[in-house]
Amino acid sequence: MKSISKIVVLNFKLEWSERRSYFSLLIYVLSTVYLSNLVFKEQLSVQSWNAFFWVIFLFAAVQAAYRSFSYEADQRFLLYYGWLKPEHLILGKIAYNFIYLWILALCTTAVFGFFAGFPIEDPWAFITILSLSALGFSAILTLVAGISAKAGNNPALPAILSIPLLYPQILTLSHLSERSLTGFDWEINARLILVIALLALVSLLLAFLLFPYLWRD
Amino acid sequence: MKGIWWKAIGVALVLYSIIQGLLGPVPALDVLNETIRVLYFHVPMWFSMILMLLLSLIYSIKTLRGNLKWDIYAEQFARTAFLLALLGLTTGMVWARFTWGAFWTNDPKLQGTAVTILTYLAYFILRNSVEDPHKRSRLAGVYNIFAFVMMIVFIGILPRITDSLHPGMGGNPGFNEYDLDDNMRRVFYPAVVGWMLMGLWISSLSIRIQKLKYAQEN
Repeated sequence: MKSISKIVVLNFKLEWSERRSYFSLLIYVLSTVYLSNLVFKEQLSVQSWNAFFWVIFLFAAVQAAYRSFSYEADQRFLLYYGWLKPEHLILGKIAYNFIYLWILALCTTAVFGFFAGFPIEDPWAFITILSLSALGFSAILTLVAGISAKAGNNPALPAILSIPLLYPQILTLSHLSERSLTGFDWEINARLILVIALLALVSLLLAFLLFPYLWRD
Repeated sequence: MKGIWWKAIGVALVLYSIIQGLLGPVPALDVLNETIRVLYFHVPMWFSMILMLLLSLIYSIKTLRGNLKWDIYAEQFARTAFLLALLGLTTGMVWARFTWGAFWTNDPKLQGTAVTILTYLAYFILRNSVEDPHKRSRLAGVYNIFAFVMMIVFIGILPRITDSLHPGMGGNPGFNEYDLDDNMRRVFYPAVVGWMLMGLWISSLSIRIQKLKYAQEN
């Protein structure tokens, strides 16, 4: 537990020393949101608000998590991580990405809402859905970032590898979030929330089990 | 000519299913009409694909457990599965055109297929972007396991949660139970076995080719 929290803190420190990665991501969100605003001139319907939001957030999340292992490609950090168990490393990275993506989701909502309005009927349900999405996304995207970091410099690889794996979650999430925009009933939707939670859990478990094989050199 | 018997059985079963499948009697159903015959081709291809993906998964796990040579098996089974997926997709699309009226609809089953195809395309791209065979086998193995689990989730679980127009789902006329009469079963089950044997045969040939290539390079 201690080494996991250490990794999380270390990652925040490292990323903060290169703040521009955070800001560039924010600008990325801003420009895609503004783009969707430009191409969609009239008021967005709830369905298209939902669709735009998830597409923008998905690509922002892929961009954000892509950098997860860029430091580890550096030999210095390979040495540094020599004393760490790979299980701890992946959990630490997932925890870091979870926090990162959660904040990113809120930022995307804020920025998107600023331009396209907030049609959210049930904010708590929406935030719950965002949290679940951050959990599932962070598990899959961290593992995929590990794979693509090891595979070398193919900039398209993270997106190609992760988006198909994320479809099941995106589909259920967007379905559910559309309901949170138009009025949410917790009892009716309990089953779908459970499905998403299970999907996130399965992804987490797989990432945890498979990462040691990836890390071994 | 070692092991020719099961290949001969495979050819015989597929030939039988083609001839009997096109000429044999089928129940006259509304909407489906004669398109019900696609059952003899489309469904066995999918079953065979699932078997190939399962074998690919097993060999990926074996690769991760430490033996590099199984990686060739994992890749070739995935390739055969991909071929069968394309065939299954084509037959399904032709069927959909004449019953649903369109080659492609946004049905959960079809979405699952599209995702499976994209996932395995990504798998092949991942393989091609790594030079070192040791590293490649490990990266591909990890991704393959992840991909298989997500594929099962997508084609096996999600369509049951949301509504689907696909036969056998959500109260639509399925090919099972009341539609599949004994005449059809007599063609369908041999076709399933036949296509599975075909898949195994194709895979075994390509595995042998890859092994020879590997031996030549080293």
